[in-house]
Amino acid sequence: MKSTMTSRIGLGGFLAVLCLAAPALAQGPGGGPSAEPQTAREVAPVDLTGTWVSVVSEDWRWRMVTPTRGDFASIPLNAEGRRVGLEWDPEADEAAGLECKAFGAPAVMRIPGRVRINWQDDETLMIETDQGMQTRLLRFGVPAGANAPPSRQGHSVANWERPAQGIGPRDSFGPFSGRIGQHPRALEVTTTNLLPGYLRRNGPPYSEDAVLEEYFDHHVQPNGDEWFTVTTVVTDPTYLRGAFITSTDFKKEANDDSFDPVACSAR
Amino acid sequence: MKRFALLTTLALASPIAIAQVDFSGEWAPAHHEDAPERLPGPELGDYMGLPLNDAARLQSDSWDADRISMVMQYQCRPHSSDYGMRGLGFMRVTTEFDPVHRELIAFRTYMPAWGSERVIWLDGRPHPPAHAEYTFQGFSTGVWNGNRLTITTTHLKTNYHRRNGVPSSDRRTVTEHWMRHGDVLTVVTVVDDPVFFTEPLVRSQNWYLDPSQQVRQFFCEYVTELPPATPDSIPHHLPGENPNLSLMAEWYGLPAEVLRGGAELMYPEYRDRMPGAEFPQPEVCEVYCGCVDFLTC
Repeated sequence: MKSTMTSRIGLGGFLAVLCLAAPALAQGPGGGPSAEPQTAREVAPVDLTGTWVSVVSEDWRWRMVTPTRGDFASIPLNAEGRRVGLEWDPEADEAAGLECKAFGAPAVMRIPGRVRINWQDDETLMIETDQGMQTRLLRFGVPAGANAPPSRQGHSVANWERPAQGIGPRDSFGPFSGRIGQHPRALEVTTTNLLPGYLRRNGPPYSEDAVLEEYFDHHVQPNGDEWFTVTTVVTDPTYLRGAFITSTDFKKEANDDSFDPVACSAR
Repeated sequence: MKRFALLTTLALASPIAIAQVDFSGEWAPAHHEDAPERLPGPELGDYMGLPLNDAARLQSDSWDADRISMVMQYQCRPHSSDYGMRGLGFMRVTTEFDPVHRELIAFRTYMPAWGSERVIWLDGRPHPPAHAEYTFQGFSTGVWNGNRLTITTTHLKTNYHRRNGVPSSDRRTVTEHWMRHGDVLTVVTVVDDPVFFTEPLVRSQNWYLDPSQQVRQFFCEYVTELPPATPDSIPHHLPGENPNLSLMAEWYGLPAEVLRGGAELMYPEYRDRMPGAEFPQPEVCEVYCGCVDFLTC
């Protein structure tokens, strides 16, 4: 009898803890209850809106200055990519009205400048760039590979990052195996339907088959400055021999007074 | 049995600091930013992209790479952990668990360059007092913020922000944000060096998971490759006498001013007031044009 009672206490305590743990284990991506999300804007785990400036602490001489023809350092171009890149002709691009080839989605975040991020509607984040005056629309809740015609900024599908390993937080078994990846914070974006363009101003190419994956991470520095880092992964079987991975850092500004729209330049 | 139930209840009711993301594994660096600087090494006098103050420039200008060949203290000197994250960076990350509670208490990183190993403590221990030992890897602690691991490193020895003589002080503090997205690891590094920087240096580096990578042992031998002029001489350049500082401007057709670095040159508006170059830009790239990895640089 005593033994049975002890077992009941143990099982009761065990179940009680499971019940206590359940809400924490069932949190949605924003850390809140897992009720069906209303809109992407409402469940956003981070606030990326505002005006941000790219601080050029990396690739300075390939970003602040248009590099020399054929200077493709750091880009994993294949032989065809180098061949096509060496044919870069800014005059021809200007004559053809293609001054914005270096301002497509795979490259525009790397160009020194400011970006302004706002919600266009509850399911669409909008990124405006002052350099090249480009507008990117990151759409939540739409299928990949939509039938829109190719464009400079392509078709971008956005998601708030999901827990790792492809399983939801509800699948956790709390007491003896803690979940990993329970509180993602990043914005994931996949962009396709791109017009061909340049990975840098001096002509290293990407093709219409390029796929752009991005991860936007917001972080706060010890001095209180807000930053986001966008990790950019470009794959292109036509011109790259492997994924081209960069990450670009933006600091939040108090206002958009310095947001200075400038048209694309082919040089 | 009753004791088991009670212990289970207490253990589960207490806040459990479980790991949010597993960073362990073999990580291969993506040298897709600044590859010529990070692989073969920076050009002399290249301070671009660094928020240097005048003291840093003065010390950088005095650098003579012969020190590595002639002065034992500069031979086999490891990369500090902050430079290591930007430099070559093949990295193995392993985990350390508390043997009793089975909680993750540390990550260990190993980089082959100079066999650099660092411990990132996750168990809430404090940093040691200021008078404790300073090392090249420093003392690192990490805290979770959702999926992101934020690491603070102190107690770093003097080293270099760039391995062409740009110095780093032992007063610097390094903050890192580790973020894993699938098989891509992005690490943001924030270096606050009040001695040599006018503002924190924020950069980010990327690795991809490469299970087949085998990071190996590193060898370095102390050898005096050049005879010193005198037993105590330290190769150097006096102020204004370094002949190498303008070479890069000539080779790449860059304005000499931009090589000097500084925070004001790191913001987009600097392009509007950037002076013209003293030398013409080459017609076609001649140096490190396809530098991406060890085979192509």
